[in-house]
Amino acid sequence: MPPSHVPLSVARKRVFESVFASTSLGNTVPTPLATPNIGFAAPGQSFGLATAAAVPQISQSLTDETWPEQVNWDRAWHVATAFLSFSDIGFAALSLLDDVDDNHLQDLWGLSSPSQEAYDALNFLLAPNSPDGDLHSSLKEYDLVEWYCNEMRRHFLANFRTDILKILHGPDQSDILTKVVAYLYITQRIYYTRFLKYVMPKLDITEQEASFSKLQRGFHAVVAYSLPSSQTSALLAKEITAKAIIILGIEGGATGQSGTTDEHGAVNDSMDVDRLYSTSYREWRKEPSEAIRNKKMTDAEDVQVIIAREHLLSLLEGVQAVGLGGNKGQKVFATVMNAMMTEFIRTSYSGQWDTPSLATQHLRLWVENIFARLVVEVLNVFKSPQSERRSEAHLDVRLSDVEKWQEVGIARLGALRTSELFDVIVEWDSSSGAIEDLKHYAHNPNARYSLANSFIATLNQRLLHPGASTVEILQLYISIIRAFNILDSKGVLLDRIARPIRRYLRDREDTVKVIVSGLLADTADTSPNTTDTLAELSTELAKVHEQYFQSDSGELDWDDMNWIPDPIDAAPDYKKPKNSDVIGSLISLFESKETFVKELQNMLGERLLRRRTDFHREISVLELLKVRFGDGALQACEVMLRDVFDSKRVDSVIRNDQGLVKRQPPQGIVTSDRSTTSSETSERIPQLHAKILSRFFWPTLQGQSFRVPAEILALQQRYSFGFESLKPSRKLTWLNGLGQVTVELDLEDRAFTDEVTTWQASVIYAFQSPSTQPSMHPVTKTVAELCQQLEMSASLVRSACLFWVSKRILTETLRDTFRILEVLPNKEEHDSFGAANNVNMDRPGNPPTVARAAAAANAAAAVAAKESADAATMEKMNLYWQFIVGMLTNQGAMPLQRIVMMLKIAVPGGFPYSNEDLREFLAGMVSQGRLEIASGGNYKIMPKH
Amino acid sequence: MDYMMEDAQNAAPEAHETAKLGASTQRSDKQSVTKRLQSELMQLMLSPSPGISAFPNADGNLLSWTATISGPSETPYENLTFKLSFAFPNNYPYSPPSVLFKTPIYHPNVDFAGRICLDILKDKWSAVYNVQSVLLSLQSLLGEPNNASPLNGQAAELWDNNPQEFRRLVLARHRSVDDDE
Repeated sequence: MPPSHVPLSVARKRVFESVFASTSLGNTVPTPLATPNIGFAAPGQSFGLATAAAVPQISQSLTDETWPEQVNWDRAWHVATAFLSFSDIGFAALSLLDDVDDNHLQDLWGLSSPSQEAYDALNFLLAPNSPDGDLHSSLKEYDLVEWYCNEMRRHFLANFRTDILKILHGPDQSDILTKVVAYLYITQRIYYTRFLKYVMPKLDITEQEASFSKLQRGFHAVVAYSLPSSQTSALLAKEITAKAIIILGIEGGATGQSGTTDEHGAVNDSMDVDRLYSTSYREWRKEPSEAIRNKKMTDAEDVQVIIAREHLLSLLEGVQAVGLGGNKGQKVFATVMNAMMTEFIRTSYSGQWDTPSLATQHLRLWVENIFARLVVEVLNVFKSPQSERRSEAHLDVRLSDVEKWQEVGIARLGALRTSELFDVIVEWDSSSGAIEDLKHYAHNPNARYSLANSFIATLNQRLLHPGASTVEILQLYISIIRAFNILDSKGVLLDRIARPIRRYLRDREDTVKVIVSGLLADTADTSPNTTDTLAELSTELAKVHEQYFQSDSGELDWDDMNWIPDPIDAAPDYKKPKNSDVIGSLISLFESKETFVKELQNMLGERLLRRRTDFHREISVLELLKVRFGDGALQACEVMLRDVFDSKRVDSVIRNDQGLVKRQPPQGIVTSDRSTTSSETSERIPQLHAKILSRFFWPTLQGQSFRVPAEILALQQRYSFGFESLKPSRKLTWLNGLGQVTVELDLEDRAFTDEVTTWQASVIYAFQSPSTQPSMHPVTKTVAELCQQLEMSASLVRSACLFWVSKRILTETLRDTFRILEVLPNKEEHDSFGAANNVNMDRPGNPPTVARAAAAANAAAAVAAKESADAATMEKMNLYWQFIVGMLTNQGAMPLQRIVMMLKIAVPGGFPYSNEDLREFLAGMVSQGRLEIASGGNYKIMPKH
Repeated sequence: MDYMMEDAQNAAPEAHETAKLGASTQRSDKQSVTKRLQSELMQLMLSPSPGISAFPNADGNLLSWTATISGPSETPYENLTFKLSFAFPNNYPYSPPSVLFKTPIYHPNVDFAGRICLDILKDKWSAVYNVQSVLLSLQSLLGEPNNASPLNGQAAELWDNNPQEFRRLVLARHRSVDDDE
């Protein structure tokens, strides 16, 4: 567009320039020290003649006055920038200057006063009212302040960055942050000094502050973005952590850090001062009054803490000043404080379960006074650019923030307690404080859910496995019930947690037994075997009894001032189970009361048959249980008790009638309407007492049957006669296997008296000398003879004989041959006896002792017991046989698999044996000709002939 | 208007309630039937009576059983065994089970489809009867048919007039169900 076409082109140019102002100057960035750049030549002009050439055009150009001004300006720019630019001296030079003062710095950096020319140039460029100020201020390239920032950035990246990185990666890892901050501080000062000295004063007073803060921001940005933020953040975090541990009073950390504070003098030997101001929960909660405790928390400021605080704050000020603080610093600080809170809670409160728990109170105070204080102080230093603009009085931390932190702290405490819950429960009674803490936490559904879940997980891992005994599990379950009743009185949580335990307990075979024996346990003498009975159950039973009625008020109690609504996670139709107390929960473990009552009957039967004068304990337990079960369910037990009491009366009546009463001290005997026991003495007429049991109400009593001595039999008959005349419609069946006998044995050199079982007594009775005169040849009998004579099983006979051997009444001369030991052997005889016995036992060199005989007797008794258990099993198997017969008769031949399946469905209580057991059993039946195996492995019933 | 609203509000949950109640009673009914049958089975197993036996079918819900009775001695049915099917209703024992002879039988009170005419299985049913008592009644019915109301007129007549022919027809009709399977 040649300028000669004047009118149109001028008009066009005007329009053009109004949009793209001064385009002709736009690209005339001067290259410092290089070519004196005066812009592109105007069209038609030769380069370098701008000044002269411009003149003729003045009249035509509208920018006529700009040209000489532009030149001046350019020149001034060169001079000024040449003066202000930094020489490329690296950090190596700088690092020498650790402790050098300002003057030295100025010397080194050539910050001598500017030459007159430079001075003028600066004046020209920065003069507020410079004619082209308007022109250039809109262009960044021409803004000297902007240029200065860029120059600083360039210089820093070129010279210092690598050096700082070297330090960061350097081998010496201590105090890196301090060093880096110090160096950055120096560089910063270098950059700032020149600016402040030569540029700032020239600026308009209104622009001074803005341009300086621009410079600052520029420097901070360079520092922040040129250094690897992960490393600086890590360093910063490390520093803050180290100090925060001390300041926040985190235990363990404080002592660990004391080494680093050595240089600050007396800190180390002022540990008692430490203690005086400690924020430790353990110390704190010992203080008796709340006022003192509060004061302690607010006043506490240990020397060590003060020092640490000063250190940290000064360090952070440095960090902030060199630009590593700000938002990034805040983030780092937040991360550290987050970790610190967890750490504090962990170190302060874990294992602190005392009641009443002051942990939440302590935590709140701590957050408010110590945690929040540090946050306020640090945030004051780490101002973000935005907050800088706010007034000084403004605090970055609001009260609501503190409250939020307190809540966070409580939640963390809750999480800690949740993780500790299992141990808390194990320690229960001395650890109720922990539950109080949890109470503050378990408000919202999420917390409760996670609480329940994590606890169930722990339970599965630590309790519900075969390694834990049923007693332990029950014990813990009781503790859980108690603890959770405090934690959540509505029982929602307990309900959730108890499920897996209850399910597991139901699978354990001995659960009922343990519970019942616990209920019946004697509270008085629990000390020796607390581990294998749950004696506390019986205490609990008596204790809870009163509350049981009170709490059972059914509908809402309008006067209950402590009423709280059901927890939020309760199902809409949730109703607190009635039996949520310990006994109720245990009793309701089983679907029906029957299981429980049956076991109670067994246990009760066993105890009632013992020879005791009173049964207060049993009566009271029964009464208490009746409250829960109702009279109907426990009727059988009731009858059992009644039987025992009635029989006492009936016994004395019958004995009077039949003239069985003697003046001799009575010997213990037990009998029953269909069950009996007897006793004997060697010479005198034995005394027979009986317990008369109503068979229908008693559990099946297992006992070996055998023939009692004729003398006793006669007595029994007389007794029966007496009973039948007393109660005409009833009949006595003697259960000889049950009962106790007081035995008196007169041997040649000694007399023996003891209370033994009936079968043991019968066996020894069989050894009685036929005549009253002690014969020269002691009675000798074999097991086989005894079996025949007593109609007793061999294992039982042997067991009884070994029992007497252990009492040194009998001796085993040959295998299964026993002889009365009328005279205790003296030393030599003993030896020969021992030798004889050794031969018999096939164990040379192992002299028989009483203890060993006793062990043998026990073993034999076990064998006998097993035999009777086997008999019971066979009886059971007989029942299954009936099922199998019924099945095969009606459904035709079946394979084994199908039989097992059907048995599992049809037999109440399921079929406890495996396929293998059944196969064996069926094979037995096949060999007996009662079954046959048809084609395809089907079992078929054989028709009876 | 207001009253109507109130009514609507009151009515809805009630209806709901009854529906729920109905469902739960039904369920508990079924449970009690199962329980009852299980105890009857147990009783049968514990105290088996000679000549009768019964067992649930393999379908697993205990509501259908198969029973076996053997013919009483000194009757035309001596040495024969008969299979019967029991189907228990959901309200057992308040209604009788339906009992059929599966084994073909020639008997005055049993038709050729195996249906039985026995008062205790019809209007004389009572909840105190059980599988065992039904089977014992049927067993005695074999020996002492009720010829006053026969389902099989010919059989009733022959029973009274021609025992030999009766016996022959019994044996001719009888065949073991097991053999068919």
